[in-house]
Amino acid sequence: MRIDRTHKGWLIASLAILGVSLLLYAFYRVPAAAGSMGGTALGLAFGSAGFAFMIFAALLGARKRVPVYRFGRAQTWMRGHLWLGLLSLPLILFHSGFRYGHGLTAWLMTLLIVVVASGLFGAALQHYMPRVMTREVTMETIYEEIGHVRAQLLEEAEELIQQATGGEKKASAEGSEPDSPGPAIAVSDETAPLRNFYQQELKPFLEKPAARGSALGDAAQARSAFTQLRTLVPASLHTTIEDLEGICEEERQLTLQSHLHMWLHGWLLLHIPLSLALILLGAMHAVMALRY
Amino acid sequence: MLFEELKDMQWQPDGTPVAAEDLLRLPVFKDISPQFLKKNANATVWRHFKRGEIVCREGEFGSTAFYILEGKASVALASPIAHVKAQGRPEGFLARLTSKLTSRLAARQDDRREDEMDRRSIPIDAPVDLAYDHPVAELAAGELFGEMTCMNYYPRSATVRAETDCTMLEMLRNVLDVLQKSKVFRAQLDETYRRRALDSHLRDVTIFRGLQQDFIDHLRDRVELMRFAPGQSICKQGDPADSFYLVRLGFVKVSENYPGGELVLAYLSRGDYFGEIGLLGGGTRTADCSALDHVEVVRISAEDFRAMVEKYPEVRAGLQRSARERQEANQERLQMVRSVPLENFLAQGLMEAQSLLVLDLSKCTRCDACVTACADSHDGVTRLVREGLRFENFLVATSCRQCRDPLCMVGCPVGAIRRRNSLEVIIEDWCIGCGLCAKNCPYGNINMHSFTAQAQAPAHEVKHEGDREHAEQKKAVVQKKATTCDLCTDHAEPSCVYACPHDAAHRVEPRDFFAGTLGQRVGKSGKARK
Repeated sequence: MRIDRTHKGWLIASLAILGVSLLLYAFYRVPAAAGSMGGTALGLAFGSAGFAFMIFAALLGARKRVPVYRFGRAQTWMRGHLWLGLLSLPLILFHSGFRYGHGLTAWLMTLLIVVVASGLFGAALQHYMPRVMTREVTMETIYEEIGHVRAQLLEEAEELIQQATGGEKKASAEGSEPDSPGPAIAVSDETAPLRNFYQQELKPFLEKPAARGSALGDAAQARSAFTQLRTLVPASLHTTIEDLEGICEEERQLTLQSHLHMWLHGWLLLHIPLSLALILLGAMHAVMALRY
Repeated sequence: MLFEELKDMQWQPDGTPVAAEDLLRLPVFKDISPQFLKKNANATVWRHFKRGEIVCREGEFGSTAFYILEGKASVALASPIAHVKAQGRPEGFLARLTSKLTSRLAARQDDRREDEMDRRSIPIDAPVDLAYDHPVAELAAGELFGEMTCMNYYPRSATVRAETDCTMLEMLRNVLDVLQKSKVFRAQLDETYRRRALDSHLRDVTIFRGLQQDFIDHLRDRVELMRFAPGQSICKQGDPADSFYLVRLGFVKVSENYPGGELVLAYLSRGDYFGEIGLLGGGTRTADCSALDHVEVVRISAEDFRAMVEKYPEVRAGLQRSARERQEANQERLQMVRSVPLENFLAQGLMEAQSLLVLDLSKCTRCDACVTACADSHDGVTRLVREGLRFENFLVATSCRQCRDPLCMVGCPVGAIRRRNSLEVIIEDWCIGCGLCAKNCPYGNINMHSFTAQAQAPAHEVKHEGDREHAEQKKAVVQKKATTCDLCTDHAEPSCVYACPHDAAHRVEPRDFFAGTLGQRVGKSGKARK
């Protein structure tokens, strides 16, 4: 989600909650600096509020699973997730009196910091990456369709090569005099650089675009390779080369899209399990603390 | 037996080509060149059907027409006469919170939609129309069906079943094309049309319902049946208005020229009419009308038209109202085109849209929550694909955009897809689920929604009491109906927008949205230049 001026309300509310909490903490905590904060009424209030915010933040996942249920707009939940999730860290710090603790509380604090940090990292990625993807991947397709599009590109390239080299041979054969000294062979040889290029460079790249070492994976190197190829084949094949260059460009864009997509959503692989662990351990901590 | 000539004819087995000599003995082939028939010996074959046997099914693609030589056949629609209705507004607070939109089939008496057609009959590719309430009719010897399929390769519009043992000629396009040029054959088809279909055709137009039988009888022999080849002009903008037309077969393209290109106002199919605006207004044509494919129209002369509107003031009032609505809708479209000279958008057909789903790609994380929500809202069938045309950082997602050239309307074998006055697409109850509109839509915005439905046993089947073969027809079958984005009208906000967690999906009125967005940019750049 883009963090823009539409977040102003949430920002002000969050700062207000933070300010009030800070004042309360300073007012009650400083005179009793030596004692434990978590067990006091205010400490429990901070802990409860912080945990409630965490639970609310975690419920976003559940909300997304029932997208059509009219439980409030998903973007409101997302904004709440971002701001209340972020607020849970200072509230828990107030709850703990800025002590790291040991045992379960230490684990909890570590988890909370990692979860909030990964969330901030994710929020930053989701703030910037959509714009990067929009700018850099002009031929974007639906992520799940990438494999299919790649197969199509390979097929298309194969067809272009067939048409170019097969057509050339046929034209040569038709145009040749029966008793002339083998012009068909001579002309068809002119397509050899194209065929070789396809077999040795282009096809392996289209089959495994993520493999390192292919010159076609880099736009500048690819341009140079295609320029060189143009000098080796007749002008009639230049259109084919242009099409193949276009296919390469699309393939690179798909690779870039995959990478960006991984960045956009990959961090969730860390954030979600740790958040669930945090909620679980937080609940255990609450039960143990209240009971014992 | 209709044809005396058939009495001593040696009938050949099913699928055997009909010999040219045999064809020439039939009156309708009398003035066809024997050389042509010999050269196209395999283009017409004998077909024999036992009682109850299916001749062709609705929705199937084909390339042939059938001419009944002997016996009777019934023509019917097996698809439920209903449209896809999404509903999700249960009573009670809690129920509303958890409500999903569920799709069901609803007939127009249960769910009346805005601008829904009030037709009493369904146009099909046969000399008869089917009644909306009871879509079954009978075809007899001497009748031709499947013309549209044969000439234009459209799907079959109805299911034809042999009511008695039948013998038919099945012919390919080259034969039908020549036949249609035959005076004898044309005369027979025209006579059948005047006798069987003109009444229902005229009365099917709501405005003409008040016509009395004597006036229709008067018109019956006066109307002219005209044919037009694909691309042929029927009338031109600015020409004197001298006729009123009813479309009998094929599709008529109605368009206007304006700076920047041609604007298609409508595709008219069987049962639609045109020409009234010119006749009622200034006496000149206001739009170009041309045949999109093989078109046949019923031409009513200006003289008869005037007599009609003078004799029936309610018809005049109805036509004037309809003409006014059409003109207003056209003006609205033209205004939209003129007021926002954005060539890119015109080219992409966006500005004319009534409502668009746009995704702000600078916010969209490509999580597909919108698509999932759409599918969840509509029984797992999404009406939205997160792909489409881009403009700067906006992606116009694939959802119906009511575009300038509504290609989806071309070829519907039963004329079930059309525009409302508000220009939005509406799919009428008699959609047979052939999928042609979904295939034709260049943006993939029409989806086929499957339903398990109890196949309706038409009345003609019920009368065969105890007939096991017929009794078995009444069983659960999967039927398809075309659907477009319904904007989740039962909810305050479309599900796709409601479910977007990133504030990236928006339903917008395109003119305001894009003009506003561009206007702001122009303003900013203007200030920067100063």
